Amino acid sequence: MAKKDIEAALARGVALLDKLLPLKSWLYFPVLYAACVWAVRRVFDYRERILAWQVWLDPEFVRTKPDEFILDFFCGNGRLRREYADEVARGDLRVLRAAFPALYSLVGLEDAFLKALFKAELDADDFRTIVVEFAARTARAREAIRAAAADPAFWEVLERVGREAASLGIHLLKDEEVQDMIVALIKGPVGLDPSIPPEA
Amino acid sequence: MKRQPFRTAALVLTFAVSVSCLAHLSRAKHDYAEGQDRARAFQTEQAVACWKRSLDEAGRECRRRPSAQAFTVKGLAEANLGRWREAEASFLKAFSLGFDEGEAWASDSALAGLAVSFEELDLEAPALRVYAQLVDKSDFKPALMIAAEKRTSLILARSAGLDPDERGRTLVALVKTLDRLLDRDFACGLFHYLHAQVDGHLGDLRRSYEEAVMARELGLPSEKIGRDNDNQLVYCYVRLRDSLPPAERDALTAAQTRWAAKWGWRDDRTPAWKKE
Repeated sequence: MAKKDIEAALARGVALLDKLLPLKSWLYFPVLYAACVWAVRRVFDYRERILAWQVWLDPEFVRTKPDEFILDFFCGNGRLRREYADEVARGDLRVLRAAFPALYSLVGLEDAFLKALFKAELDADDFRTIVVEFAARTARAREAIRAAAADPAFWEVLERVGREAASLGIHLLKDEEVQDMIVALIKGPVGLDPSIPPEA
Repeated sequence: MKRQPFRTAALVLTFAVSVSCLAHLSRAKHDYAEGQDRARAFQTEQAVACWKRSLDEAGRECRRRPSAQAFTVKGLAEANLGRWREAEASFLKAFSLGFDEGEAWASDSALAGLAVSFEELDLEAPALRVYAQLVDKSDFKPALMIAAEKRTSLILARSAGLDPDERGRTLVALVKTLDRLLDRDFACGLFHYLHAQVDGHLGDLRRSYEEAVMARELGLPSEKIGRDNDNQLVYCYVRLRDSLPPAERDALTAAQTRWAAKWGWRDDRTPAWKKE
């Protein structure tokens, strides 16, 4: 496996997706990453999977969790505990409950697609931006993917990139390495827009 | 003698068509069953893909050789995909072709679709009434499961605004409803999961823990619900353990350690899927 070959394959994917998802570079990450992961697992139904991720967005019981569970969630994660130390100390359930649906889906349930969509903020421990942006960005992601899904070229690109990355041995890299590689490509060499939408 | 080749060809053709039709139905059933297995193993996306494949195959069978069985499989796939209106039509067709339960399943599918529509329009009260009726009377499991889940969620959301006494009474009544559902189908993991959620609201951590363990063992309809159930289980386990005298605490720890090993967790409180 040559890491550079994989990087080159992913770069080609980013460049091709750029034509299909104009001005939505923050969407490349989850879509490309998903294509690579599923290709490695030899999954044949890319379309179903990319479209099915929408079922993850509406957690039924998240909005009704008891206060104790919510407090425990914020106290049990070191990064969240640091960010929300004041609210936890004050027992400010109003703020914590408002932040919970977004952060529990990402940090508590570890939804892979959502984690990819908010990778930059998660890496920077910028949880408050995630909370503010959550509804709008996930809605835009749904809409953008739905629109792109109508174009057969979108699926061809994803399938090609995934297969190529799989054949080059992407499965030998750690998840984090693949994620960092894609983020670096989106931010860097291919000269695309920033990975975060301007209004975030 | 001249007719012999023609007869043979006709026989071969008939056989091929039969095999092809059989293959569609057989594949539809196989895909549907695989979808159920995948769903139980928390592989939501694969389950959805299987049900869609099942729907395609059953649809082909219904067009080529309509039968009660083909329409029933089609209706089941549609119900699992939440396409209630289409499921209603398929079950009615199955009923007209001789599937006796098709009429009741069509009616329950129609009610589930109606309740979901009410909810989408923010009409919670009528949605709740329809869900309650399905929970009380439906024997059609996909409709019963969605009704139990939605009803529990809506009541929990509503109870948050009530005064403590009324809230307590509401939650106790909800537990009784879930107990009745478990009496009817103890092997349904979702009902145990719902019970664990309500027990958590009532502060009954031991029961919540036990119900979450049973839910995990029996399987749940989606990966996300499975993960939420794991979180609930760990939350209850840790708090329960801290509140117990040493002997009981050791017994609980030993039991949880055994479960964790069986489930392939990294330790007694870290599910395999957790990276954080």
